[in-house]
Amino acid sequence: MLKRKLSLLTFLVAISAAAFAGDKEHGTVITDVMLHVSPDPTSQQLSKVTRGRDIFLMDHTMVDNKPWAHLLAVVDVDVERETAREISGWVPANTVVTTSTPNGDQIIYGEAVDSESRADQGRKNARDDARRLYYRLYEYFPNSPLAGEALWRAADIQWHVEKTDVSRRPSSREMDPYMRVAIEEETMKLVIKKFPKTKWADMAAYDLIDNKVCGSWKGETKCPEKESEIYEKYVREHPESPKAAEALFEAASRQGALVEMFRTNHEQDKSEKARKKATELTQEIAAKYADGDWKPRALELMYALQQGIPTYNADADRATK
Amino acid sequence: MVTHWKTFRLLSLLALAAAGSFAADKQYGTLIREEYLYASAGANSQKLSQVNRGSDLTVLETANADGQPWVKVAMAADQAQVSKEATGWLPAKAIVNASTANGDQIIFGQAVDSEHQAEDRKGRKGAAEDALRLYSRVPQIFPGSTLAAEAMWRAADIRWQLAKADRSGKPPEEKYLQEVITKFPQSKQAELAAFDLLEGKLCAEWRGLAECPTKESALYEQYAREHPQSPKAAEALFDAAWRQASLADIYRLSDDRDKSDAARKKAITLAQQIQNQFPQGDWKPRAIDLIYKLEKKIVLYGPAE
Repeated sequence: MLKRKLSLLTFLVAISAAAFAGDKEHGTVITDVMLHVSPDPTSQQLSKVTRGRDIFLMDHTMVDNKPWAHLLAVVDVDVERETAREISGWVPANTVVTTSTPNGDQIIYGEAVDSESRADQGRKNARDDARRLYYRLYEYFPNSPLAGEALWRAADIQWHVEKTDVSRRPSSREMDPYMRVAIEEETMKLVIKKFPKTKWADMAAYDLIDNKVCGSWKGETKCPEKESEIYEKYVREHPESPKAAEALFEAASRQGALVEMFRTNHEQDKSEKARKKATELTQEIAAKYADGDWKPRALELMYALQQGIPTYNADADRATK
Repeated sequence: MVTHWKTFRLLSLLALAAAGSFAADKQYGTLIREEYLYASAGANSQKLSQVNRGSDLTVLETANADGQPWVKVAMAADQAQVSKEATGWLPAKAIVNASTANGDQIIFGQAVDSEHQAEDRKGRKGAAEDALRLYSRVPQIFPGSTLAAEAMWRAADIRWQLAKADRSGKPPEEKYLQEVITKFPQSKQAELAAFDLLEGKLCAEWRGLAECPTKESALYEQYAREHPQSPKAAEALFDAAWRQASLADIYRLSDDRDKSDAARKKAITLAQQIQNQFPQGDWKPRAIDLIYKLEKKIVLYGPAE
């Protein structure tokens, strides 16, 4: 009997908690704002909530004719170590954008673009702000027409931050990609999973190639051979990708490097084969991508190959021009 | 006397004609890789100096040595590492001139590549200057090329950006951007050059005063009105709106409520214009974000209320 009463009670508590959660809104802040103990600007300050942080709106109130929002927010504990914790407090409500804000997706996206732009102008941690804001958009407005691009941009920012970090480690010069720390792929793979067959999935797949290329070639032909194959395969699998021309050029420039590497190794047949392949790939670029910068780049590479101008710099150990 | 004068005029005419024909024969070219300048044709001859990519070369004569074609060139005096006009021999394979098939595309392609090198942390030293020189050569050697306007604009823009990054305090020269506007009026590249030139008219610091953002907002708005098809029109309108939004805060801080409200209203009007005129791309969400902040009175400039 007692056991049944306990079950009923647990059930009722669970239902009321779910109902409570259902009434509340998730969102974020679009400017850095101080979290206060009470809805009063003179009250004790708890912590700063930075742009794009995940917030859970619990309550509203008006004080001195100004709206305040009671939040459960994730705040930074140590920005450098990227540690955070959840605390509750009050912020001016005008800084909060939630799932019920009209045009909320556009506002968050606009603030994310703005943060990216400010990062270029030197605002501290602005790139992190942009990444979080883009991710929040995807998370809370999954049906927005901006969701795919926002998730891709969040993933791309994170990817390039980690790529720079990885490139500074000694292991980045290892020939075998498995010998170095890989860039975290989770968010890129999420883009491909959630937005398959889109431009964003194509772009994510292109970034993922970074984890498959050699850290350095060490003068060996197997790296440019493998990389050329990877890039060409990408083009065949993603012909409509905005990165298709670039991938073809990457494949062609590696074949161009192989011409010189095989020639130095006195493997004339292989050198000629690489020259032919590089020429075919550059011709494909010139024919398929008449607009933009890739056609001139391809024609320049073709000219260098025809004139016998080396396209591999042994000192720099990479295809060079 | 009359006969003398006639003879003199005829001689002058002949001399002018000969000079004109020499100028017409003169062939310009450039290098798409660094090469050494040699004293005579052949890799075993004395090396004189290194010649950079994109160098301005005049082809003087050609010869064969070591089973390869060589070209005697004159290099203009105003180039880096060259204090006076220099002549010497270069291997012909790295030289692109007006008679090279697809020469404009080849030089442009190498310029793009050099620009990418300049942006790469591990990229080639001096690559930005290489790109600048290479882009400059395209309209010079191929004035009728479809890439001439874009190349001239990119060269001027790189020069402008390098001058801005230069800490000597010397203001960037406007003449190269002006040349784009003069040579290719009404083009996309002329509009981009005009946008760059606005930077020279901005204040170094606002010092919390209304004068600078007021003037700058008017400049950007004027640009958007005069260049409605420019790729920079939406950005210019946003820059104007953002300055009006800042003015709303600057006037609020000086307790000028009427002017603050007028600036806020103006900023919202400009941002709405972006929203309506440029529905694609990033400027519409940025404008919507700005409108939201203005409506919610979020502080954009100076300390919070």
